[in-house]
Amino acid sequence: MLTDEQRAVYSRLADVLIPSAEGMPSASEADVPTKWINDALGYRPDLVPAFLRALEIGADGEAEAAVLRINSTDSVAFDALGVLTSGSYFLNPAIKELIGYPGQVPSPAYDDTASYIDMLAAVVERGPIFRPTVT
Amino acid sequence: MSNTHLIKRPLPDVVDVLVIGAGASGSVAVFELARNGFSVACLEQGDWTPATEFAGDKPEWELVKQKKWHPNPNVRQGPSDYPINTDESDVNPLLYNGVGGSTILYAAHWCRMMPSDFQTRTLDDVGDDWPFTYEDLQPFYEETERLMGVSGLGGDPAYPDEPSFPLPPLPLGKVGLKAAAGMDKLGWHWWPGANSIASKEVGHRPACLRYGACLTGCPAGAKASTDLTHWPDALEAGAHLVIGARVREITVDDKGLASGAVYIDRDGVEHTQKARIVVLAANGVGTPRLMLLSKSEHHPNGLANSTDLVGRRLMMHPYGAAVGTYEDELESWLGPAGQILHSMEFYETDKSRGFVRGAKWNLMPSGGPLGMRSGYGGRPVDESFGVNFHKNVKRVLGRSFEWGVIAEDLPDESNRVILDPELTDSDGIPAPKLLYKSSENTEKLIKWHVARAVEAHEAAGATSIETTELMRDCGWHLLGTTKMGNDPLTSVVNQWGAAHDCPNLIIIDGSVFTTSSGMNPTATIMANALRSIRHLVENRATQPMSGE
Ligand SMILES: Cc1cc2nc3c(=O)[nH]c(=O)nc-3n(C[C@H](O)[C@H](O)[C@H](O)COP(=O)(O)OP(=O)(O)OC[C@H]3O[C@@H](n4cnc5c(N)ncnc54)[C@H](O)[C@@H]3O)c2cc1C
Ligand code: SF4
Repeated sequence: MLTDEQRAVYSRLADVLIPSAEGMPSASEADVPTKWINDALGYRPDLVPAFLRALEIGADGEAEAAVLRINSTDSVAFDALGVLTSGSYFLNPAIKELIGYPGQVPSPAYDDTASYIDMLAAVVERGPIFRPTVT
Repeated sequence: MSNTHLIKRPLPDVVDVLVIGAGASGSVAVFELARNGFSVACLEQGDWTPATEFAGDKPEWELVKQKKWHPNPNVRQGPSDYPINTDESDVNPLLYNGVGGSTILYAAHWCRMMPSDFQTRTLDDVGDDWPFTYEDLQPFYEETERLMGVSGLGGDPAYPDEPSFPLPPLPLGKVGLKAAAGMDKLGWHWWPGANSIASKEVGHRPACLRYGACLTGCPAGAKASTDLTHWPDALEAGAHLVIGARVREITVDDKGLASGAVYIDRDGVEHTQKARIVVLAANGVGTPRLMLLSKSEHHPNGLANSTDLVGRRLMMHPYGAAVGTYEDELESWLGPAGQILHSMEFYETDKSRGFVRGAKWNLMPSGGPLGMRSGYGGRPVDESFGVNFHKNVKRVLGRSFEWGVIAEDLPDESNRVILDPELTDSDGIPAPKLLYKSSENTEKLIKWHVARAVEAHEAAGATSIETTELMRDCGWHLLGTTKMGNDPLTSVVNQWGAAHDCPNLIIIDGSVFTTSSGMNPTATIMANALRSIRHLVENRATQPMSGE
């Protein structure tokens, strides 16, 4: 679990990665640093060390410069920060709704051959395209 | 992983047949042998993977698929995985270790090879001819398709017998229709993809729910992985399955015949299982690894390796792709993933293209918003983040799909599996190392095909197109490392999978492929395994066995 201090650093970095723009909320507006990052870190314990390194490297100074510094000094830490931040953002159901992604919900298979069978007739008309066995 | 030997009845001291590996080919062998009255045991290093464990129907899917369900065992590092040294390989091998083998994670594209794939030497003066033809394998394809419950549409003019399938095709959806319209504009072949995914309830499996998570294990149990299609009936028929059993050596008797295997259980205890016949089904990397590990007085260069061909001619199907993005909302996260369409337009050789052989194309959806968002490190931050983060999601999510190219790579003896001198698995057994370079022919082939795939997207109206000419994580198909052929001087096994140097050692996985074709190989691996094992069953009276 992150300390308050780490969370404060993370909040600033996360908002550089995912700002409020294009009608979408920022990472902190979407509760990424306060809620969803906890879940994401639980799903990806392997990324925790690199993520914490990113927070350490990015602890000081202006947030945008800190993000650039993480990327240029430790690309593995930056990857972890990027994956966990975007992954956390998309865990939020309100974000899924805003981007129009229902998630992996069951959507039973159905037969749609009628919608393309006429198109296929043209493929059949073009005829065989294989080389037969040489005997 | 559980320690238990999941066997319903005591394991005999000596079994008729010992099968190593419970994956695609091993499952075929075990079921066929058990139902024909053989006493058969299977040693599998992994465990069962219940559908409830898969993440494809859970919110965290896109996060966990990049680790726990990653197809590269070096990334996944699960308890049943063994490391594979890839320092000298252009491509990473992808596989899964457990009951069902790599079919747990496969995309279930169901592709028969073409007649010409069995005759590359005769037709194109490259590679070698297989010791049998498409027509010889055809009835075994059909039988396997019934057991796997393959969904597809009959009448494809790309194949000589225009095969029909036991289940109707899966939906093309908006993605399939869009791509098909592009292909039609160009006059290029396309056909609804055949997939070993149930479009309707079949056998032990329900119909597909289109989660699109096929490559990370099907949470619905709709995908035909062999833990579902073969194992329940095989166990019912009397087969023994030992899970958590990592084989370190195939033993031989005083005549040099295979006599069983030494394996290590998950408590680290070593066991020996004796057998009259040994079947290897540990895949194109696991099988040569075991043979190279099994040196003896009779087989000083590794088991059945007098030709020094064991481990050589590794083929992995370098993969190229073109992803197109469209203005229309296409719901391109919906499954199956799976091939929605395939195209054989450029499958056959046309030397004017500057290379020989060809590739099957497959159309696949593009998944959820996280996609393969990894590996940003070192790239400009504002490419993927900041305002562009939102712009990219809006532009791509639900609006993009991929034409992928399965490039045939030709056999080359310097592409090989060897034993790593230092690296070992968690049981201290030497790990495999891959030496693999993709050839000039393959590189030209991929470049040319990807350029055509770009045209296919343009014709379908894509607004932007991104291409990859060689994906590193694409070694889904592990083929060729114990070549099949008639001549004992130039091949490891005969047309029935029996090793020339050790006739009661039968190899049935993708290792035996004489050439690789440009198709996803599992249909052929399973049909060929069935053909080999059927031959063994029918010729049991004359089959050499250990202990006779
Ligand atoms: C991500 C992914 C996607 C794929 N998509 C497709 C597709 O769409 N279409 C297609 O046709 N193919 C696809 N494939 C390939 C397909 O899964 C394989 O071709 C097929 O499973 C190979 O069958 P096999 O029997 O040779 O080996 P496997 O199925 O890999 O089984 C080998 C088994 O042997 C066991 N084993 C190995 N060594 C030992 C040992 N020392 N001791 C005990 N057990 C051992 C392993 O644990 C494993 O369970 C895909 C593969 C992957 C990984
Ligand atoms: S798309 Fe179908 S086969 Fe693939 S994971 Fe979903 S339910 Fe399973």
